[in-house]
Amino acid sequence: MTQNMDKKPTVMRESKNKIRVDFERTSLKERLKTKYLSAYFAKNVLWYIFRLFLLIGVAFVILKPFYTMVMRSFMAPENFVDVTVVNVPRAFSAIIYKAIIVDLEYFKVFFLTLALSLGCALLQTFACALIGYGVAKFKFRGAKIVFLLVIITLAIPHGTMQSAIFYRFQHLDIFGIFNFLAGGARTGIEGIDAILSKIKILPESFVGGISTIRSVVPILLMSITGLAFKNGLYIFLLRQFFRGVPDELEESAYLDGANTFRTFVQVILPLSIPMLITVFLFAFCWQWTDDFYIPLFFTGNAPALMTYLPAVDQIPITLATIYTQVTHSDGGYKQAIVYGCGLMACTPLIILYLFCQRYLVQGIERSGIVG
Amino acid sequence: MTNQVGAVTNVKPAKKKKIPSLDRKKSRAGWLFVLPFLIGLVFIYFPIIWESISYSVCNYTISNGIVTKEFVGFQYYTKAITGDAAFAKSLLTGLKEMAFDIPAILIFSLFIAVILNQKMVGRAAFRAIFFLPVVVSTGIMESVMSSSYGASGGSMDLGMEGAGAEGGGDAEVQVQTSTAVEGLLISIFGGLGFGTGLVTYISSAVASISGIINRSGVQILIFLAALQSISPAIYESCQIDGATSWETFWKITFPMVSPMILVNAVYTIIDSFTTDSNSVMMLINDTYMGVQEGSKNISAAMGWMYFLVVLAVVGVIAAIFSAYVFYQRRD
Repeated sequence: MTQNMDKKPTVMRESKNKIRVDFERTSLKERLKTKYLSAYFAKNVLWYIFRLFLLIGVAFVILKPFYTMVMRSFMAPENFVDVTVVNVPRAFSAIIYKAIIVDLEYFKVFFLTLALSLGCALLQTFACALIGYGVAKFKFRGAKIVFLLVIITLAIPHGTMQSAIFYRFQHLDIFGIFNFLAGGARTGIEGIDAILSKIKILPESFVGGISTIRSVVPILLMSITGLAFKNGLYIFLLRQFFRGVPDELEESAYLDGANTFRTFVQVILPLSIPMLITVFLFAFCWQWTDDFYIPLFFTGNAPALMTYLPAVDQIPITLATIYTQVTHSDGGYKQAIVYGCGLMACTPLIILYLFCQRYLVQGIERSGIVG
Repeated sequence: MTNQVGAVTNVKPAKKKKIPSLDRKKSRAGWLFVLPFLIGLVFIYFPIIWESISYSVCNYTISNGIVTKEFVGFQYYTKAITGDAAFAKSLLTGLKEMAFDIPAILIFSLFIAVILNQKMVGRAAFRAIFFLPVVVSTGIMESVMSSSYGASGGSMDLGMEGAGAEGGGDAEVQVQTSTAVEGLLISIFGGLGFGTGLVTYISSAVASISGIINRSGVQILIFLAALQSISPAIYESCQIDGATSWETFWKITFPMVSPMILVNAVYTIIDSFTTDSNSVMMLINDTYMGVQEGSKNISAAMGWMYFLVVLAVVGVIAAIFSAYVFYQRRD
């Protein structure tokens, strides 16, 4: 390259105000050589190839079970009795999906679940951001204990407290005040009990607390108090993030006259969008596919939610006749229906993720401080 | 953070009210921020826990619809430890598994997150694929994915194809291949003088890669969010100063995501301890379903002891990790 620099460009005057500069460019061969035959380029190419192979390999492991699900759910019914067909369908048919949409009222299920999941996820994200910010940025007495309690709520699996959770929401009460005001309190001493049962400030239904079972109240209550499924993780996550936010940001906001809450909403939340989106995605996803709380709180007559979609007890009506023809397929057809339901349940989540991941980009200036 | 700022505002000498300092005000605001959680704890969570604890130390008798509790001491705890040898044993195995899994999951998920954060063709698609384990790990999707075990049989190979590496029907084949892979890796790298411990660790990590991948979904997403919160200006100045990408990773990326390494370590411990497939959790659930008298109480006692162990492990790990965590702020 340096030898070309020595040659001076030729300058030609074409017209009065126009000149033309001709200089000898490095030949194409030379240029390509310096570009592609360098160690830097080779290193990059190797890294690209390695990265691609790694990602494809890992993606293969993740997608492998999905491949079977997609293939079998699109398989035509006659393929299920054909021994020669294992996983690749010989004939495609979408009748399973048609049955899911028509018979199982997919769209009704979809919108009901969407409303519930969206509400819960937004509540959880906001509540966890509040709590996480509280334990991260304020040095009050007991902040560490509150944080320890957050970790404890995360560490105790709700599955082991199933009956206790159910009992709590069946008899929701504030220190027995409702029970007392409705005349349900008992001490075991007859005289006092007689007086206690005379209290009728609240109606009879308040005896033993309010039953919030068969409504969305328990889920909403747990969401807004940061006690729902894995909310401890969200609080912990946001707390760690907020701890890394420089104090100068808030101090300048205070100096400008904003109070703590306004600082939180207008200064802190905008710069934590990647974190908030991540938390929202977790909350939405896990509420969407939840199969613990909804069956627990909606005993018996449950609304049509995504939880119950893959739990097909009975074969959809339009598939009933076909099903009887292929019943000796070892339950393979029912399995295919379950797969179809599973795919229909998780596809909206993937679409939501693709939509949200646009906001998961690097480049949001976090510190906002120079020097 | 001086007191002057707070003192200048709302000065009312007539009332002789004590003016709260800024620190006092801030601590009050802190209580307000965590108030929803505290309300939830007091009215919802503590009663639930109380109920659950009293299950492990009380006898419940129901007569005429009235439930009476009778305190019986810690006999169910001693029963859980002494009566069932499987409990202590599976507790130890669980701890060993965890010591193996956590480094593998953390390193893998950080690595994948760094890669997924780079610009490349099809990044959105790859990110979406790596999001799938989050969806599949819990709830209905978990049961859909695992439902294939039961249905397998006959000519159908559902169990094998649907269940990935942890399949039921092909478990034997899987074990054979994984030990073969392990043997191969050990024979290749064993001669290179890396030390047998490391080689066995890596080879068994490779053999159980499917499980590690499927359990890293949440961690990858958390690391990804952490990586995106790093200001690009820092990277720019690094580049200008001539740092290599290796140096940039260890001097910038690693310290900046270290708070999230703590989160992920704690979460991975708790998650691996409390998933239903954990051997201790299975034992607790089996005991709960058991028919013998007091099995529900023993199950509750086991659950609480197990929880204390988990909390102790989390505490130790968190103490070790938080010594190295870097927060971008002055203290």
